[in-house]
Amino acid sequence: MPRRVVVTGMGIVSCMGSGLGANWEGVTSGRSGIGPITLFDASGHQTRIAGEVRGCFDPKEYIPLKQLRRMDRYQQFAMVAACEAMEDSGLPYPPANPFRSAVVIGSGMGGLQTIEDGAKIVNERGPKGAKPLLIPMAVINLCAGILSIKFGFKGPNFGVVNACTSGTSAIGEAYRLLAEGRADVALTGGTEAVITPLSVAGFNALRALSTRNEEPEQASRPFDAERDGFVISEGAGILILESLEHATARGAAIHAEIVGYGATDDGFHYVMPDPSAEGAFQAMRLALEEACVEPRQVGYINAHGTSTDLNDKMETLAIRRLFGKEAEKVAISSTKSMTGHLIGAAGAVEAIFSIMALKTGTIPPTINLKTSDPECDLDYTPNHSVSRDTEYALSNSFAFGGQNASLLFRRS
Amino acid sequence: MDDLEKKVIDLISEVLVDVNKENIQLDSKIVEDLGAESLDIYDMIALLEDEFNLEITDEEVEKIQTVRDVANFIRANP
Repeated sequence: MPRRVVVTGMGIVSCMGSGLGANWEGVTSGRSGIGPITLFDASGHQTRIAGEVRGCFDPKEYIPLKQLRRMDRYQQFAMVAACEAMEDSGLPYPPANPFRSAVVIGSGMGGLQTIEDGAKIVNERGPKGAKPLLIPMAVINLCAGILSIKFGFKGPNFGVVNACTSGTSAIGEAYRLLAEGRADVALTGGTEAVITPLSVAGFNALRALSTRNEEPEQASRPFDAERDGFVISEGAGILILESLEHATARGAAIHAEIVGYGATDDGFHYVMPDPSAEGAFQAMRLALEEACVEPRQVGYINAHGTSTDLNDKMETLAIRRLFGKEAEKVAISSTKSMTGHLIGAAGAVEAIFSIMALKTGTIPPTINLKTSDPECDLDYTPNHSVSRDTEYALSNSFAFGGQNASLLFRRS
Repeated sequence: MDDLEKKVIDLISEVLVDVNKENIQLDSKIVEDLGAESLDIYDMIALLEDEFNLEITDEEVEKIQTVRDVANFIRANP
């Protein structure tokens, strides 16, 4: 019998601000966090806008300077969000049972800026130019390792690499560890810091990014007929999961329960979603099936909603296939319209927004939804948040590579 | 203390950010007194090599113990 798994801690760093409070206030008030790229000189790039984590983020508050020097930006985001999530959970650390405490962190590309800087120096000066911290700052599993050092979690520990689905996959796999009884507590989520010259150039080469450079706040417009690609952003979302038994034994405040997780792949194309929406449909269906929940019971879907032509059409079709006639009744929104696309952190940040929607009864909007697209014809909560009491929320993530993952949360 | 010694202390302090700079003296032993571990040493070597445009082999590192040893090594390898 699988054990029940609950969420007891949450933390966020994004272009909306540092901390869950600033983020939830931002997305429910329909504010865009997108602006011009300042992290590097993007004047030669087709896309010159992004969702950067700015001044409010001060890692020195949380991370000793010595460790800070050894951490890539993607690791710093996760550490700061993890400190917030741990504090929120009230879990003491190091834990009483360290080998029953897991860390599972998703990231699409890890320390890409470190790799770019390292490659440049080695090209200029030869192999001796490589710094000893290059590898530890670059690799994706080190983030989970660093969090283990910080919090003394010594159980199962790994990185999850699944492009834009990384965050959702990480939470789903951590949920499985707990449901199967392999750990009692898991620190999980996703983190990403790839607003870099190489990454933006690469996504531009794929024609994936919006080039609405003159109107950054209007660039991310999921499900709108005028959408022209996603807006890259950065940050981290971290959640503390516990078995229900563990959480209740210590009298923890429970944010929500994870009741289902579905994961599939399109098996179709490198970067294009399967237009039949079969893989995305199956991921959502599996999440519901695991929880014995009917589509009509789901009140909110935090959509993947990237603002690319193909994703938004495909996701709409997937929701129609699963919900049938009920599809027009479910509240859907893409918070990426405000946060941009945090790549490997997106699913984790959006899982937190889904839980907050259940907790508060407020559905955050899809902003910039001005012109309707006949192929995107559902209720995407246009432009303003709405109040709605909801028992179940789905959070979707889909990736280049065809990966699809869907998490189902229940209000506690 | 001359300029070179001051520069060496600056660079060591850049790596050992958690050590109070006033505690980094010429006779401080880098490992025993200042608490540097292997990754710090590699990090320092990379900084010193960049700054002074020289190469410090792993064998030579073995012989270096104090901050003064570092300064002396740099003087001997202009």
